Amino acid sequence: MSSGTRDGRRGGRPMREGRLRRLLPWLPRARVLLRLAVLAFALVVVGGFLTIWSGVYSVAASRGHWPGFELLLKFAMRSSVRTHAFAIDVPPLGDADQLRRGAAHFQQGCAFCHGSPAGPSMLVVRGTLPEPPDLTPLVPTWQANELFWIVRNGLKYTGMPAWPALQREDEVWDVVTFLRALPTMTPERYRELAGLAADEPPASRRDDRQALLTACARCHERDTTAFPRLDLQTEAHLLDQLKAYAAGHRASGFMQAATAELTDAEMAWLAGHYAARPTKTAPAIAPEPSHREGEALFRRGAPELGVPACEACHAREAARRERAYPALLGQHAAYTANQLRLFKSGARNTTEPARLMATIAGRMTDEQINAVAAYLAAQVPLPEGERNMR
Amino acid sequence: MSSMQSVLDPQGPEAAAITTLAWVMFGGGAAICLAVAGLVVMAMGGGASVRRAIASERFVVWTGIVVPTVVLAALLAWGLVLTGGRNGAASPQALSVEITGEQWWWRIRYLPGTPDAVETANELTLPVGRDVELRLVSRDVIHSFWVPSLAGKVDMIPGTVNRLRLRASRAGVYRGQCAEYCGGPHALMSFHAVALEAQEFDSWLANQRRPATAPADADAMAGRTVFLKAGCHGCHTVRGLEATGIIGPDLTHVASRLTLGAATLPNDRDHFRRWVRDNQHLKPGNRMPSFGFLAERDLDQLAAWLGSLK
Repeated sequence: MSSGTRDGRRGGRPMREGRLRRLLPWLPRARVLLRLAVLAFALVVVGGFLTIWSGVYSVAASRGHWPGFELLLKFAMRSSVRTHAFAIDVPPLGDADQLRRGAAHFQQGCAFCHGSPAGPSMLVVRGTLPEPPDLTPLVPTWQANELFWIVRNGLKYTGMPAWPALQREDEVWDVVTFLRALPTMTPERYRELAGLAADEPPASRRDDRQALLTACARCHERDTTAFPRLDLQTEAHLLDQLKAYAAGHRASGFMQAATAELTDAEMAWLAGHYAARPTKTAPAIAPEPSHREGEALFRRGAPELGVPACEACHAREAARRERAYPALLGQHAAYTANQLRLFKSGARNTTEPARLMATIAGRMTDEQINAVAAYLAAQVPLPEGERNMR
Repeated sequence: MSSMQSVLDPQGPEAAAITTLAWVMFGGGAAICLAVAGLVVMAMGGGASVRRAIASERFVVWTGIVVPTVVLAALLAWGLVLTGGRNGAASPQALSVEITGEQWWWRIRYLPGTPDAVETANELTLPVGRDVELRLVSRDVIHSFWVPSLAGKVDMIPGTVNRLRLRASRAGVYRGQCAEYCGGPHALMSFHAVALEAQEFDSWLANQRRPATAPADADAMAGRTVFLKAGCHGCHTVRGLEATGIIGPDLTHVASRLTLGAATLPNDRDHFRRWVRDNQHLKPGNRMPSFGFLAERDLDQLAAWLGSLK
């Protein structure tokens, strides 16, 4: 019985062999076709290389693209962005503080190429190919996740740069928030959001210290919770942070762009200037009974989770804390909470003090982060006269 | 054979009994092994009558069922008596110590629950010739307490108190080790048991109860300031100072211990400095962050002060 089933001339197999055999006469022809294909491919590769090597193709921005080529490039870009942005979840957007931060950075980092409601782009960038487009008509053609992907990653071959600090996705979302509001934004509203004084030229040129200060003041001297308070910190701490941003050790697209070109002398001067500014001693928010949990964390920590008391390091008086440790009492809640989340997620762990804080924040719950941030915002900071005492 | 951490060199009655049991088992096992080998030789090469005897049902029942049952039952009973004896009522003179396994160190409390309670870490100092009643607990995961020279292993299980009574018969330093994998730097979760003569032990305990000594020189004084400014007291207690952190080891008398980092490093100023600056390199994954951003001078002063906390 078993020998019968093993017989190769019965069942389905001989049929298949028969079909294969019928293909056999074609085999030599298929070989010829294959050789021809290889030859054609080699000709294309060599020919293409020789064409490029000869230099007859012009890379001149002044000449534009061949007809149709630009359409192809745009099609490729749109397709690539759509596919890569597909899985990105959009967080809640539209917070007024996000809008302010996004606008302030747009003014600093984007407007000179793309123009803004307050003024046109710089003349020299208009000769690039492609020319950086006016974003007003373009923004509605993209989804929020696609805008996020473009702002974060930049666009190859277009001159659109990637975000300086890829781990700061929170900052990129701030810019997306702004972009989505851009098409309907009046020049007055833009100036207000970006912190531009009425008479200031839109692309501010740094030619003296006053102009330098204006660039900082656009964000840090405004009465808003969108930007961290600097009137709490010591001169030494501010200088350390400026240097860390400028060197790229502390990641922030906003602040790296703002500090990269500063000289040491300018940074020292700025740190001194802000450390001497009067403290706003009125707390940003009123104390509430709900701040008790935050206060307990600040004073006693959460030992069961391995979280020490914040106060142990972030003492009220500068004389009682390391210069690497910032003052926290009075800081805006949104800023403190965002930084703690950055520490917790590992987005802020590139300096040694940051790694220390990342270890601790990694043990905190989101509720604890919000509780302690709210408590701190309701506290009265030290007045400027005592801020720097060591 | 003599060493700090050897089951073959018992230094107390608990460990001695276990060593005896181990030798009896080893000897018995060797004898049984020889007997079996002899039977195999006889079964293959013995005369017809010998082979018949070995193959008889009676022989199989006796040597295959009765003897193993008796031997194993006796060993079980002995082992139970030996290990169960540790759970009996403590003698009134026994010293009570609570040891908490934490990732990756040992929190040690003398006389827990009494007004005289005193906390230290990573070194079990005990009086020679006196029973010590250990309460073994865990804060996070399962650890296992093992000082081979003094007693057998006992697991430390979260939510459970395991008890172990032991006694050191001779003064000396014995090494202990966490004997249950507990994550990350488990291999560096060790400690020393230091057995002192009764009088020495009493003065040691009296010293542990005292708050930290005042800084003796300018360096130590400055080091104390560094300790507070850097926020070390967020996690560490130094009694006598506004340092009441309970996350990490109590440092009130840290310089009186033999080692740092749960028997990771020798305890001297240089290693103290390295530990503070670089502990994540020395004991990767441990719960303390490195403080490499402190100025060299600050590190020196901090090490000077910590090194003075005898």
